[in-house]
Amino acid sequence: MTTVHQVLSSAGPYDAVSVQARLWRQLLTAQGHGGADYAASVDPRARGDFQPLQRLPAEGADLLIIRYSAHSAALMRVLERPEPKLVVYHNVTPPGYFWNHHVGVALACAVGRAQLPRFARAATVAAGDSEFNAAELRAAGAADARVLPILFDPQRLEPRGTPPAGEGPMVLVVSRLAPNKRHDLAIAAFAAWRAEHGVDARLVCVGEPVSPSYGELIAGLAASVDGGAVTLAGGVDQPDLNAAYAAADVVFSMSEHEGFSVPLLEAFHFGVPVVARPAGAMPEVGGDAVLWDRADDLAVTAELLQRAVCDPQLRQSLAERGRARLAEYEHARTAERIAGAVEDALSQGASSRLGRVRSEDLR
Amino acid sequence: MSTPEEAEQQAARDAERRRSAGGYGGVGRSGKLDESIVHGAPSRELLAEWAVIEIDRDEVIYSTRRGGAPITFFKRLLARLLRQYFIELEARQTRFNIAVLERLEQVEQQAAHGAGGAQPDGGRQAPHRESP
Repeated sequence: MTTVHQVLSSAGPYDAVSVQARLWRQLLTAQGHGGADYAASVDPRARGDFQPLQRLPAEGADLLIIRYSAHSAALMRVLERPEPKLVVYHNVTPPGYFWNHHVGVALACAVGRAQLPRFARAATVAAGDSEFNAAELRAAGAADARVLPILFDPQRLEPRGTPPAGEGPMVLVVSRLAPNKRHDLAIAAFAAWRAEHGVDARLVCVGEPVSPSYGELIAGLAASVDGGAVTLAGGVDQPDLNAAYAAADVVFSMSEHEGFSVPLLEAFHFGVPVVARPAGAMPEVGGDAVLWDRADDLAVTAELLQRAVCDPQLRQSLAERGRARLAEYEHARTAERIAGAVEDALSQGASSRLGRVRSEDLR
Repeated sequence: MSTPEEAEQQAARDAERRRSAGGYGGVGRSGKLDESIVHGAPSRELLAEWAVIEIDRDEVIYSTRRGGAPITFFKRLLARLLRQYFIELEARQTRFNIAVLERLEQVEQQAAHGAGGAQPDGGRQAPHRESP
């Protein structure tokens, strides 16, 4: 049995990178690989799935899968190890979004982006989870960076918990409360739609804040909308999130920077229309199945929400297109590409080890 | 049947029509966060703001654990006990930051006026200005 370890900068209960690591582990196990998952920083709620990086065995691994999404000094040390490495780049958010809200995160992003070339150079096989991210890797020096899309597992979306309480059309925003996600704009557009069309709608934002102070900032904006129409639900378990998707009338994003955007695929799975700005990798993932907000005008955004909620034919058309997009991310297809990348990294690593042994023999 | 592409165009027309009829009062552009912060160098004003280190410990010290309130309390208590040390640390860092900012300003002024090269007094002299 081969030993394949995964290493992350940080692991948490809900974030997309940690979720991918868990899904990859299931896949690796099913494909007969052993190993475990480690993170430089482990949220106490994720300790069941991830171990601290200090516990990564000093040797004996056949492959290290490095998931790169932020700087970590401990992760940098992993680059110096001799094992072959499959580097999966999930994008590092430009630090400017965080300087005013969380200096620690901003620093991790600033150094993280500056260090990307070292990860690109150290990769036996380099991959981004979108073409957008693969292009950044290529620009950083990984000439043949490939795309390994998000491993989308529909089974995760089956268990149903409790949907958010309330009546009326429900607009759902699923993302961490962070400055680049622009919840401020989502709340403003929602309030404009509600006021202009007299809709008794509600906005539910699922996701944890990047810091308590930023959470308070967004909570202040939410409280300014009449009638308690905006709910900040915080981080929710997968069954409750599934119930929220199933109850939603539209999934909404005003984000400015996205390395992939898993909620697009989740919305497609539930047949819920999406209104979003075409930021980062989102056009590549959403294709023609999203109502794109290109206007830079919150009144237009409000009108898009009105159409997405109230036009049944449009909703049907978006749902059909969403299903077609989802087929591109079918589990078996992505699993095959991941298996190919793992095999390539293992075989290239084995060849270079053989090369090293021969050159030592010749000395 | 309305396609998504048609809906996007229709939404723009509807917004315009409603605005003409007096609707969407006070509703503005969406726009992007200040490019100078997000993708470029922060402005001088912002740098000056950041130079002064003044940390609200209640804002940055917390615990994400379930039932983490006692841990948060303990961490904040510890910070309070070490307050004397932290204040000195912040003051020294602020002193350095402000000195660097002042020196940066001098260098920028020299560059703007084509002074070139370091001045013998370390740049404290008023920059040379050419008469018009």
